Amino acid sequence: MIRLAGLQPRYEPLDQIEFDVWLGRPVLSELSALEISVVWYTEGKGGEDLGVHWFQRITPPSLQQMDWRQPQRRALQLPASPWTYEGTILKIRWCVRVRAFFTDGQQWAAQEPFYLGALTREE
Amino acid sequence: MKSWIRLWGKKQNQRMAGWWFVGTVGEAAFYGLVCLVGTLILGVVVAWQLFSPETSAFRVGFGFWVMVLASLSMVIIGGTGFLYRVLKVAMSVEHRETLTHRAKKLGDRWNGRPAEHPPGIPALQPYTDSPGVRLKYRLPGNPGELGPLLLSSLFSLSWNLLTAVLTAVALSSFRSKPEWGLVAVLPLFLVVAFFTSRWFFRLFRRASGIGRTTLEIDQLPLIPGHRYRLAVAQFGRLALRKLEIALVCEEEATYHQGTDVRLERQVIFQMPIGEHGRCRIDYGSPLELDFQFQMPTDVMHSFQSEHNAVRWSLVVQGEANRWPSFCRKFPVVVFPAGYRPPAPATS
Repeated sequence: MIRLAGLQPRYEPLDQIEFDVWLGRPVLSELSALEISVVWYTEGKGGEDLGVHWFQRITPPSLQQMDWRQPQRRALQLPASPWTYEGTILKIRWCVRVRAFFTDGQQWAAQEPFYLGALTREE
Repeated sequence: MKSWIRLWGKKQNQRMAGWWFVGTVGEAAFYGLVCLVGTLILGVVVAWQLFSPETSAFRVGFGFWVMVLASLSMVIIGGTGFLYRVLKVAMSVEHRETLTHRAKKLGDRWNGRPAEHPPGIPALQPYTDSPGVRLKYRLPGNPGELGPLLLSSLFSLSWNLLTAVLTAVALSSFRSKPEWGLVAVLPLFLVVAFFTSRWFFRLFRRASGIGRTTLEIDQLPLIPGHRYRLAVAQFGRLALRKLEIALVCEEEATYHQGTDVRLERQVIFQMPIGEHGRCRIDYGSPLELDFQFQMPTDVMHSFQSEHNAVRWSLVVQGEANRWPSFCRKFPVVVFPAGYRPPAPATS
């Protein structure tokens, strides 16, 4: 449902990130809204914090005007911070998150993680 | 197996336990009820006073204003709680966070605060407010040591005043009818007065004897890989055995354990910058030291969010004859490696 363009797992601060969003099955008639966001969140001992870098909420009629079975590309510039971080009692993670709201009140979410900065690298 | 429907939300680690939707609706209903009851009471009290003041149970006075304040609090608390719970059900966490962020940005613009520092990093201004004598900035010290001294002086002063007044009352009572009850508890007051005074004088002697430590730096914020100069000055009157300066990074996490809010700190990085051996410091001739250090390259920048933080600080630790060892922390801000502040707008 989400694919980072060029399958690039790590980005430098202020880099351009490109990703595709599409819906795997024809559920458009059941959709009431779709939210796409680029967020960082914390994990670890402390309470969970969330920061939204970019957010888009698509509601009808714009929702029906796009063919969501085809990849819809989004491109944006990443911020300078916070960097992805693997600490002892704190971890900071970045991801592209898609949240679909259905007419029957159900919610469905998917996310694709990526790394920002040079501290934590995928080996 | 879910044996009953829980009417309130409860967080367990990363997730909401049980029937979180029903729980949130239950909480919304509770706050809505509080708001409704508050509105009703406020309406009745005010309307009764306006339209039939002669039959009103609450004449304008202390009771009337207590009722108005109590019902107004119910309206505000209930209304805010209800709105928050409704937003929680109606909006995703990302949507709520976006709205909060926009409101914060609007507030910053309204107050004329520039939002130029990178996101998630503490503002630099509190650290660059004070110019130094030998280098560009004088770093603000951790006010941790001043707090107990201030507290002890306030407590000791008030307790001694109270004891003095009670002693005067007890002594004057001997002219007519002695207050034996007061005379009996007076020794207890005197003992507490003695110990609080001793507590205050010990802290005062320590603060004035060891003296303050100042730390100046030539550049802020710190950026990984860059070199910096430090100027340390230790005041007071003491025979110093050792003085050490280090760069320290700590992770900080705030979390709930039951109804308590707990804070955990973990030192994740420590780099000695320099040290100085035995010497004697006197009033008017402080110990002045200069150091240089290079920020390591592969380190996390400063970070601050609601419940978590990565804090950097320069720590001065000292040992002196006849004094307990002391440790003074000077927080600094570290920006991400390679960060270049945006060029100021030219008009």
